[in-house]
Amino acid sequence: MYEQRFDKRAFDELRPMEAETGIIANANGSARFRIGNTEAIAAVYGPQEVKPKHLEKVDRGLIVCKYDMMPFSVPDRAKPGFDRRDMEISDVITNALNRAVLLEEFPRSMIDVRVYVSQADAGTRCASLTAASMACADAGLPMRDLVAAVAAGKIGDSICLDLTKEEEDFHEGGATDVPIAFLPSKNEIVLLQLDGKVSREDLKKIVEIGKLGAHKIYELEKKALRRRFSNES
Amino acid sequence: MTQLKNYDIVTPGELLSEQGSDGSGTYVENGKLFSKYFGMLQINDRGISVTPFTGVYEPREGDDVVGQVVEVSSKYWVVDINAPYYTRLDSRDVNFRADIDDLARYIQMGDLIYARVFRIYANHAADISMRGTKYAKLPSKMITKVDPMKLPRLIGKEGTMINLIKNETHCEIVIGQNGIVWVDGEKDKMDLAISAIKLVESEYHNPKLMEKVTEMFEHVRAKV
Repeated sequence: MYEQRFDKRAFDELRPMEAETGIIANANGSARFRIGNTEAIAAVYGPQEVKPKHLEKVDRGLIVCKYDMMPFSVPDRAKPGFDRRDMEISDVITNALNRAVLLEEFPRSMIDVRVYVSQADAGTRCASLTAASMACADAGLPMRDLVAAVAAGKIGDSICLDLTKEEEDFHEGGATDVPIAFLPSKNEIVLLQLDGKVSREDLKKIVEIGKLGAHKIYELEKKALRRRFSNES
Repeated sequence: MTQLKNYDIVTPGELLSEQGSDGSGTYVENGKLFSKYFGMLQINDRGISVTPFTGVYEPREGDDVVGQVVEVSSKYWVVDINAPYYTRLDSRDVNFRADIDDLARYIQMGDLIYARVFRIYANHAADISMRGTKYAKLPSKMITKVDPMKLPRLIGKEGTMINLIKNETHCEIVIGQNGIVWVDGEKDKMDLAISAIKLVESEYHNPKLMEKVTEMFEHVRAKV
């Protein structure tokens, strides 16, 4: 049984969040997103010439994403470099961004998205995707919508939002982790993964609770973007 | 969502209007109008449009640009004009007689040129030309990059801002519409001009920008 969460949050409560854009001067767009102890930094370069050339698409642009965990982001050092997990997460982020960015507006070009996780406490792919979408907007790319991503899941018998590492490793009753990404104003799911075991009804509940969280993240994203150009005069 | 006003800041995917009539920077989905960019909303009698705050340079016909030669082929030069794609300068489109197969004699790799975008293809490729007396190869001095969306502020109303910088620093400055700014002058003055340009870029949404730049020059003059 899991009646009270380890960090005393309500079951549908997000961890404290923080977002910021325009943090890397050399990139066309950049953003930082922190949720609890998970923090991701994203930089967007481009649109630019496609390298390597054979990847070029005649009718649309290309997003090349690289996700990486910094060596000091986890308690036992993460080996630097591109491993299988990084590859998978890079792919799911690319797929989600492909739905958000209007790629047909810049044919034959490439957008380089770099995401680095500086602190990891579960939900890194969601934090990375959120940061990457903010960086894309900051780079002035034409987009259908921002992406808001959050992990939800089932711990024991309770449906929870925004799991921590401690909860992901919960043993009694099992833990199910479902990272979800939305285009909030379109009500469209662009990423849905499932790690664990869950019934169909529970999955629906998890997606519903994830949607609530995503909308809160979406509001924060909009606020962070606006803050860059308003009140400073 | 009807509380949106002129000059409001909008983010991508923000609902602008229930009826669709797309202007620039917007798109229509299911009959509703959404913003395509992170930018500023503009509502006028022609409709609703969104101007992005940031972005890469997108070449348009007739733009005067500063570019750097990245490749010399036997019949043309390939030039990086800070756009998503490289452009081509044909050996026939220059204001001097160029013998083909020996183009590196005239303009070499790494050289800076001032040229005009004269043709845009359907696939967004562009050709540039150096025909005309004002276009030339630029001696390699200092260049700096400015966000092309912020160029209007650097030029100022009828060139007031850039003339201020030119007069204060006695530098020759060439602004390419692609955001590359070429500066020539005495060494210290070039640094000063570039720091002024950077100040404009970082404070471009400041309504009292002109005063701020003047202040900076006065501050420097007081120190000397």
